[in-house]
Amino acid sequence: MTPPDDAPGRERRILGLPPGTWPRILAPLVVGLLLLGGWEWAVRHFAVPAYILPGPVAIARTLVADWPTLSGSLAVTLRITVLALLVATAAGLALSILFSQSKWVEMTFLPYAVMLQVTPVVAIAPLIIIWVDNIQASLLICAWIVAFFPVVSNTTIGLNSTDRNLLDLFRLYGATRWQTLVHLRLPAAMPFFLAGLRISGGLSLIGAIVAEFVAGAGGASSGLAYRILESGYQLQIPRMFAALALISFSGVLIFLALSLVSHLMLRRWHESALRKDH
Amino acid sequence: MTGRPGSAETAGVQEDGTIAASGHTAPSREDSTGPAPVVALRGVTKRYGNGTLAVQGLDLDITTGSFVSLLGPSGCGKSTVLRMVAGLSPLTAGGIAWPRAAGRPPKLGFVFQEPTLMPWKTAIDNVALPLRLEGVAKAERHRRAREMLDLVGLSDFANSYPRELSGGMRMRVSIARALVTEPEVLLLDEPFAALDEITRFRLNNDLLRLWESRRFTAVFVTHSVFESVYLSQRVVVMAANPGRLHADLPIAAPARRDEAFRTSPDYAALCRTVSEALERAMKA
Ligand SMILES: Nc1ncnc2c1ncn2[C@@H]1O[C@H](COP(=O)(O)OP(=O)(O)OP(=O)(O)O)[C@@H](O)[C@H]1O
Ligand SMILES: [Mg+2]
Repeated sequence: MTPPDDAPGRERRILGLPPGTWPRILAPLVVGLLLLGGWEWAVRHFAVPAYILPGPVAIARTLVADWPTLSGSLAVTLRITVLALLVATAAGLALSILFSQSKWVEMTFLPYAVMLQVTPVVAIAPLIIIWVDNIQASLLICAWIVAFFPVVSNTTIGLNSTDRNLLDLFRLYGATRWQTLVHLRLPAAMPFFLAGLRISGGLSLIGAIVAEFVAGAGGASSGLAYRILESGYQLQIPRMFAALALISFSGVLIFLALSLVSHLMLRRWHESALRKDH
Repeated sequence: MTGRPGSAETAGVQEDGTIAASGHTAPSREDSTGPAPVVALRGVTKRYGNGTLAVQGLDLDITTGSFVSLLGPSGCGKSTVLRMVAGLSPLTAGGIAWPRAAGRPPKLGFVFQEPTLMPWKTAIDNVALPLRLEGVAKAERHRRAREMLDLVGLSDFANSYPRELSGGMRMRVSIARALVTEPEVLLLDEPFAALDEITRFRLNNDLLRLWESRRFTAVFVTHSVFESVYLSQRVVVMAANPGRLHADLPIAAPARRDEAFRTSPDYAALCRTVSEALERAMKA
């Protein structure tokens, strides 16, 4: 008897956001500002030299001054990250659908997916970089290896935990495998898949950075990790921090973007995306 | 309405008769005189992979257009029987025949204990699901789904998601979905067990009204004596370990079942008879 709770214009909003959302934005923001303030104060008070620990203001200044180089590197890293995430999503989805169609396929190939996941990417990155001629391609492969497992494992669990009764219902009406997959298993696995995707988003960034480090140590690549290495060699510590800040921001942004996607896809029906106050 | 002692008497005789006959595989006397059964179970036996003998040697004819309840203690194999009839669970031994449709099962509807709706679909899309799986065009399946929602009194909630509906409303959606293909046989597995009494009574009446207007064959699994007597023309009592037929009781009740019937002495007497049969089944 309750009206759909996303009916527009029905609830109070502050600056376009429901009142309950504000603490979630403000609380971390306040803590962040306090920390940055404390950091700046400590750096100044104890007169810490910038080549050991620059303050946030110095970092911000470097960020602005070096923006042309840094933004180029940011674009390079983000391109690898996004590509890796896309490939990981597509491959992960395809693989888990394959797994869900046959227990045999799952039994045969899951161990290898696990193996790929538990092998540290730093250890295989040099090999991949040697084997694959194209540096971009080898970075992409490294990032993909790190990112694809959460999608595979989550989606597989989702596909396999479909409501038994609903499966029976589909069987009763003579649904084909394809119909069951499209109309039942995939939608039911959606929350699991999206949870995996959010983890994979962060991991693909980590994968890209790690691969860049390995490649950057050899002088190839121009992403943010390479800037960090380069700044380290040149003792330009503020620039190192600026690059680091960009990586963290990107990570947070990717997470927020994927959370938004997840929320938009699930808000009509899934518990995780529903507001609690109804 | 032949009076309480009469119907109780008939029931008793019937019960003993059926116990004696339950070992045979020959068709029961009923279908030589009455209308042809829509489904005939012969020696139906089910042993699960873990060794549990859930059902053994069950013979049962279900008359076309009748309302039959399967009543029995928990674990006596009621759900198992229903799932075998629906073709969702293979038989270990015996056979299930559909004499009327040249041996092929007719259109079936199944209502589970839980509403079993897809939470990502609106009520109308849930109801339209069986039609969608049949490949019916969107406009047509929505028209028919809407018709069914009207029938169960949910016209205003067609575009609500299951989470926006109460438990009773979800169950109505589930019933509407089961009826949307206009099945000849409707199988219901304790559909109202999780609901409160007021809602249950109301849905009992709704179900009877639907049955009266559509005349499908209803096989209704329940563990409630009162519900089985209120709804059905015949109550089949099962005993457990292994699941088997214990008693087969016709319910001689007025054609019109309503709140007056629910409070009548006839109803009370029938409930007592069925209750006693159930008690014996639990000791057997
Ligand atoms: N999938 C299964 N695997 C193994 N044993 C099962 C399975 N399903 C049911 N059983 C067993 O079969 C017997 C009958 O179960 P069933 O669910 O048919 O009983 P029921 O009469 O529907 O009980 P209830 O009233 O509690 O729903 C029980 O002993 C149960 O443990
Ligand atoms: Mg049951």
